[in-house]
Amino acid sequence: MQEILLSLLLFTPLLAALVSLFFPATAIQLFRYTTLVANIAQAFFLILLLGSYQNSAGLQFVEHQPWITMDLGSWGTLKAEYFIGIDGLSMPLVVLSVFIMLIATISSWTILKNVKGYFILLLILNTAIIGSFVALDFLLFYLFFEFMLLPMFFLIALWGGPRKEYASIKFFLYTLLGSILILIVMIGLNLSVHDPSISGQLVHSFNIIHMSSPINFISFSILDPHNAWQIGLYNARQWAFLLLFFGFAIKLPMVPFHTWLPDAHVEAPTPISVILAALLLKVGGYGLARIAFPIFPDATIYFGGFIGVMGVISIIYGGLNALSSKDLKRLIAYSSISHMGFVLLGFASLTAEGVVGSIYQMFSHGIISAMLFLLAGVLYDRTNNRMIANYSGLYSKMPWYAVMIIVAFFASMGLPGFSGFIAEIMVFLGAFKSNSVQGPLHESIAITATLGLVLAAAYYLWTLQRMFFGPFNLKGDITSDQMFDLNKREFIMLIPLAAAALFFGIYPQPMIAIIDPFAKHFAEFVIGAGKSLTLNP
Amino acid sequence: MAATPSYDTAVFMACAFSALFLPLFSFAVSLLISEKYSWLVTFTSPFLLLLSTLAAGVVLYSTWNQQPFTMTWNWFTVAGSTFAVGVFLNNISALMLLVVTLISFLVNSYSAGYMAGDPDLKRYFGMLGFFTFSMLGIVIADNLLLVFVFWELVGFSSFMLIGHWKEKSKAADAAKRAFIFNRVGDVGFLIGLMILWAHAESFNLITLSTSSEALSWKTAASLCIFCGVIGKSAQFPLFSWLPDAMEGPTPVSALIHAATMVAAGVFLLARVYFLFTPFALDFVALTGCITALLGAFAALAQNDIKKILAYSTISQLGFMVLAAGAGAPEAAMLHLVTHAFFKACLFLAAGAVIHALHQAQNQSHFPFDAQDIRHLGGLRKKLPFTFFVFIVSGSALSGLPFFSGFLSKDAILASLMVWKGTGFSWRWLIFGSAFVVSFTTVLYTFRLIWSVFQGEEKSTAHLSITEPPLSMRVPMTVLAIASLWIIVSPNPFDFSGWIYGGLRSNSEYLHISAISIASASWVLLALAFAYLIKGRTIRSSMLLNAFYVNSIYKIVVERPLFQLAEITARTDKKLIDGILHTAAYAQLIIANVAGWFDRAMIDGVVDDAAILAKGVGSFTRSFQGGKIQLYIFWAIFAVIIFIIWTLL
Repeated sequence: MQEILLSLLLFTPLLAALVSLFFPATAIQLFRYTTLVANIAQAFFLILLLGSYQNSAGLQFVEHQPWITMDLGSWGTLKAEYFIGIDGLSMPLVVLSVFIMLIATISSWTILKNVKGYFILLLILNTAIIGSFVALDFLLFYLFFEFMLLPMFFLIALWGGPRKEYASIKFFLYTLLGSILILIVMIGLNLSVHDPSISGQLVHSFNIIHMSSPINFISFSILDPHNAWQIGLYNARQWAFLLLFFGFAIKLPMVPFHTWLPDAHVEAPTPISVILAALLLKVGGYGLARIAFPIFPDATIYFGGFIGVMGVISIIYGGLNALSSKDLKRLIAYSSISHMGFVLLGFASLTAEGVVGSIYQMFSHGIISAMLFLLAGVLYDRTNNRMIANYSGLYSKMPWYAVMIIVAFFASMGLPGFSGFIAEIMVFLGAFKSNSVQGPLHESIAITATLGLVLAAAYYLWTLQRMFFGPFNLKGDITSDQMFDLNKREFIMLIPLAAAALFFGIYPQPMIAIIDPFAKHFAEFVIGAGKSLTLNP
Repeated sequence: MAATPSYDTAVFMACAFSALFLPLFSFAVSLLISEKYSWLVTFTSPFLLLLSTLAAGVVLYSTWNQQPFTMTWNWFTVAGSTFAVGVFLNNISALMLLVVTLISFLVNSYSAGYMAGDPDLKRYFGMLGFFTFSMLGIVIADNLLLVFVFWELVGFSSFMLIGHWKEKSKAADAAKRAFIFNRVGDVGFLIGLMILWAHAESFNLITLSTSSEALSWKTAASLCIFCGVIGKSAQFPLFSWLPDAMEGPTPVSALIHAATMVAAGVFLLARVYFLFTPFALDFVALTGCITALLGAFAALAQNDIKKILAYSTISQLGFMVLAAGAGAPEAAMLHLVTHAFFKACLFLAAGAVIHALHQAQNQSHFPFDAQDIRHLGGLRKKLPFTFFVFIVSGSALSGLPFFSGFLSKDAILASLMVWKGTGFSWRWLIFGSAFVVSFTTVLYTFRLIWSVFQGEEKSTAHLSITEPPLSMRVPMTVLAIASLWIIVSPNPFDFSGWIYGGLRSNSEYLHISAISIASASWVLLALAFAYLIKGRTIRSSMLLNAFYVNSIYKIVVERPLFQLAEITARTDKKLIDGILHTAAYAQLIIANVAGWFDRAMIDGVVDDAAILAKGVGSFTRSFQGGKIQLYIFWAIFAVIIFIIWTLL
């Protein structure tokens, strides 16, 4: 079973979705529990996986099967494979996905409209997300990547809030644009890379691992690092990198390609917001670290400073926007943008500390943002109103809710003891150190980024002050009998998230031990390969 | 550890960890106890803190003037570099351990009386425990990253405690301000950590102190860490959160001002003193001096009993920072310790006055601001015990001979005397300022004491006021005793007694008799002057508002920040989404044009073809009328045509 453990983890939800198709639409409980069972089975497979995972062994649980082989005559052969595996980059994200999907399923108990369609889409989404984290064949990755879009689109468009059509189409078009950019590069890469394991024959491969090694590029192909084609300002490899970068940056999202996120969040139902913030955004960061940076290390170094600056702009711009948000969920959405800026900054530093920080930040933000969006959902469930100005003094009416909000806000601010602190401090140390170890970032970039910490304190504490402290008061058409404290199901979702944020803040070693070998190798490889390609093209 | 210690290591470690973790345990107990028995926390918390204090006492007794104790564990490892957690106990930290636990214990016991009847006792005592734990973490941590961790936790606990009365809007505002001001300082600290990591690859205090290279980055690193000190120890220009923080419960103020928060900055300064380069030290001294002057003058004009004390703390902290900047961290630490006791004592005494007045007010429903000294007077008759405690701790604050404050201030003045050198320089100005501060301190302290306790009763005349309960009086007594000279040295005119020698690391013995005499006579002169101007108030709006620092922040920082936030929001809505919508509309227009082209041109051609086909269709359809005769006719017609065709 070891050999197919990862596939089991990956396809269990899809299987559950298939089974669910045959249930009658009125069997609401059945859909809920089928999904829950699928999630628990995934968690079980994940525990088995973790049990035999070796931190320093690189890629593991690799499954390699032929998938598409097409003879192109004089062009050679096109080959795509079913190629999946897991390493220090994908492991934290897979752990996160399984955990968050479980929480999202519990949170989906409140969905009462068209339950069958909802849970089937949720299950498909589950497979697509985990698939994009474990796929090592570019075509396979792209398939999963695209497959996330559709369920997400319908989940927002059919179960969303008042402006759901606008939000869902905006989300769809934005991310589709990103996908097209990635598609272009994927085709270019396929044309330029051959499979070195098959000799005597030209086999065009989609294998990401092969693509990450400069020697596998076909001489005089368009993306050949040694004979770069010059197109306008940059060479073809730099253009390809930029396309990939912007493709993934839309997903991350990076300012100025972020405006789909607040709208999508505000309109999406709570569980979908949770998945969107906790998992979908991470695919952007993951794509950068898995595909864009290792395949184009030379361009990464060339644009490293630019990426770092974009990270800092996201951090500060997102923070400022959060400060001016009047809707609680919008505020949290902008804080997500701000926090994902740290991911860019850490990767761009090309230091082990920075990369560990970035991956840790993706993991930690997944936990904390899930908690934040669940908490925003708690309020919305009760009153259908999320405007900050309509509430004050909630502490006296809903003390447990306020306690959870305080925990989540301070965790998100990066208070020590919560996972966000470890992530942010590592990103800062790495970003500042970058210059002294030949990385691309100047010290001033890290220093400017610290402004984000003050902004985070400002917008969260100001929100606390306005909504939770002071005398109890409600405005608008909200009545005080709508306001009741957390119920048992809400506790079941929030407590594990809070506990996880605390655990990974106080005792980060288990997770860092998984990430560290990857981060170290990644930083060394990108700097080493990038420098050597830049110096002797 | 190299040398064998003269104490049992296992017992020692057990004590050190009990001292550290018992307050955290108190936090846990307070949270977990059932709401029904919430009154229990008023017993469990002081008791746990008492145990913690005793353990700290053992630690101090064992390590004082012994080999420092260190112990390190691996926290996490990144790319071969270890981030550690560890304990480093030397004289300074062991002393601080005892001071913090002792004052926290006393404040806990005092709170049992002061906060009786509060609906949220669990959270209050829980956070007191957590506050103490965070501070102890700073005290015993062996590396700067760990210090930073606890440093931020102190900020968090102060946020929770200053804002304890959640329904009070002003308290929530003050808590927020305190945290944000601290965050600003913390960001400086963080940048300092980044510099250290990039250049020294270590946060360990011992490792850092043994690398003796005088490098340029050390100036930057030390000044950045000093930013953290500015935030936490309320130095200029980040001091205005401290007076605002008076919105919290008074015992919390005592804790913040004496042991668990503002003290952290000065302690850190002494702890990482080795990092500071001469240039950085001059900067530190200057900041301290400005703060000391600002605080002292602002205290003169305040009318709120707690605000006077708050500004006094700012001034005294400035004094300590000045001493550290002048190369005498041991004098700063000595003053920190004495100040901790007498300032805690002053706050508890002020709390006793407020508590007594509030209780009396509740019985008589006679509303007035019990903290405004303009409403108070003549309370010595109704509150003789509190009056006595106030006199003792106030004298210590003023630095009158035979009190602890006199000796520690003496240590600072003596070191300043040496520091300023013989030739005239800007340092003389600072030395002079120290005397000005000392003079002003006496003025505001005795103005406070006399307007509250002497003269005729004003608003309180008709109230029946009683002394606070025993649980509050005992801590006050202990702290009053600790305000006497005897805790520093057996000789009331020589500060180099029990403590000072142990704090001294490398500077020489500094006692200067001339300074003691000058200081003593100067303070007595100030006392006489204070008596002369008794009953007068300085009506200066500038001093009352502490040089308008808060208003300046509002105009220079807060307003532009919100405007900027507004601009970014508009950029998102108008610019980015605007471009997006324009692009979408452009596409829509193109689609419409294409649609028209489709309909008019392409479909036109297709339609014509269709019309043609239709015409042909209707023509041939006319052949099929449904009448059998017609079919026969066509059949015969066709056969004839066929025959003609074949024949031709």
